[in-house]
Amino acid sequence: MPKQRVWDLPVRLTHWLLAALIVFSWWSVRNHHTDWHIWSGIAILTLLLFRLMWGFVGSSTARWTSFVRGPRATLDYLRGRWVGIGHTPLAALSVIAMFAVLAAQVGLGLFNEDDDGLYAGPLANFLSPDTTEKIHDLHELNFKLLLGLITLHVAAILYYRIVRGKQLTKPMITGRTTDPAAGEMRPGKWWVALICLGVALAISRWVVAGAPLP
Amino acid sequence: MRTKLFTAGFAFVLVSACGSSSSSQAKNQPANVMNAAVAVAAAKPLSKPQALTVMHDRHEGMEDVGKQNKILRRELTAASPDLAAVRGATATIARHASEATHWFPAGTGPDVGKTGAKPEIWQKPQDFGVKLHNFQVAARALDVAARAGDLNAIKARYADIGGTCKACHDSYRTDMHH
Repeated sequence: MPKQRVWDLPVRLTHWLLAALIVFSWWSVRNHHTDWHIWSGIAILTLLLFRLMWGFVGSSTARWTSFVRGPRATLDYLRGRWVGIGHTPLAALSVIAMFAVLAAQVGLGLFNEDDDGLYAGPLANFLSPDTTEKIHDLHELNFKLLLGLITLHVAAILYYRIVRGKQLTKPMITGRTTDPAAGEMRPGKWWVALICLGVALAISRWVVAGAPLP
Repeated sequence: MRTKLFTAGFAFVLVSACGSSSSSQAKNQPANVMNAAVAVAAAKPLSKPQALTVMHDRHEGMEDVGKQNKILRRELTAASPDLAAVRGATATIARHASEATHWFPAGTGPDVGKTGAKPEIWQKPQDFGVKLHNFQVAARALDVAARAGDLNAIKARYADIGGTCKACHDSYRTDMHH
């Protein structure tokens, strides 16, 4: 069966780097490496900014407009009446939820402080210690939400593998699928990806510097 | 009775303070010096209400040290730090640091009530005593620097005290959620 492209390199790299950094963030803060935890969060911020932009100017399957659909398309998919390549309308809901919760987690982290006042996100100084204490609790609470969504994500992949006999992990590694899906991926341009990365790094640097206004 | 225990605890830290002009010296102190002091505390166990009072004071005190630390960071990273605010924070931290001598009598661990204090505090009293002492020394030095008013010196002492907080918390505090 001919293999066709489904995920471009920037999408795959972003996906696996995010997965690794989420694990690292959890491990580092559990093991008293709060400084590493903060840098890991900044790296996640950079990836999210990149992915946000790549969702507008990247390959066809990376674009928000290609997979974010209304409830009708989701119902069509559930009734088995959807054909296409990339995220299904149901998977799109999962993508948006994970992106939003992860963005919230990083956003809260930027304003967070530890109980001892030894470590702080780059924007914590904008808020009073009483407020950052509430942010601290929300950062922990939102992590549970993130964990729930990741569990759902992995469970869905297992469901498709075991019940539907569909491989989803391998395409996210190789970028290619044997799925006889309609349509094909239109790739993005490598130099556009570099520009997105440059902008994402610049914004992250500005945030690390405490978001100074000119 | 609490006074007696506090006296015992105070003597315990005094003993450690006398022998520790540097932390490496303190580490070489014979273990039985510290253990004796803790054993005294253990010989007359605290009643449950007494223990809970100590644990409450400890929690409130530690929380306030954290809060003062946050105020300090805001001031010390500001373009023009408010020296009065800095001095207020360092004085409060120094006060809590001296109170901390009485915060860890035997019988105030997690088996008694909700606390982030690990049982290891009472299993390794000598090492814990050294780390607590280092914090107390750093707190006094920070307060002295704040009163002298040299910002670079204050920042250096602020970094020092952070190291002593972390050294102790990494070993002797659980990840507690309040």
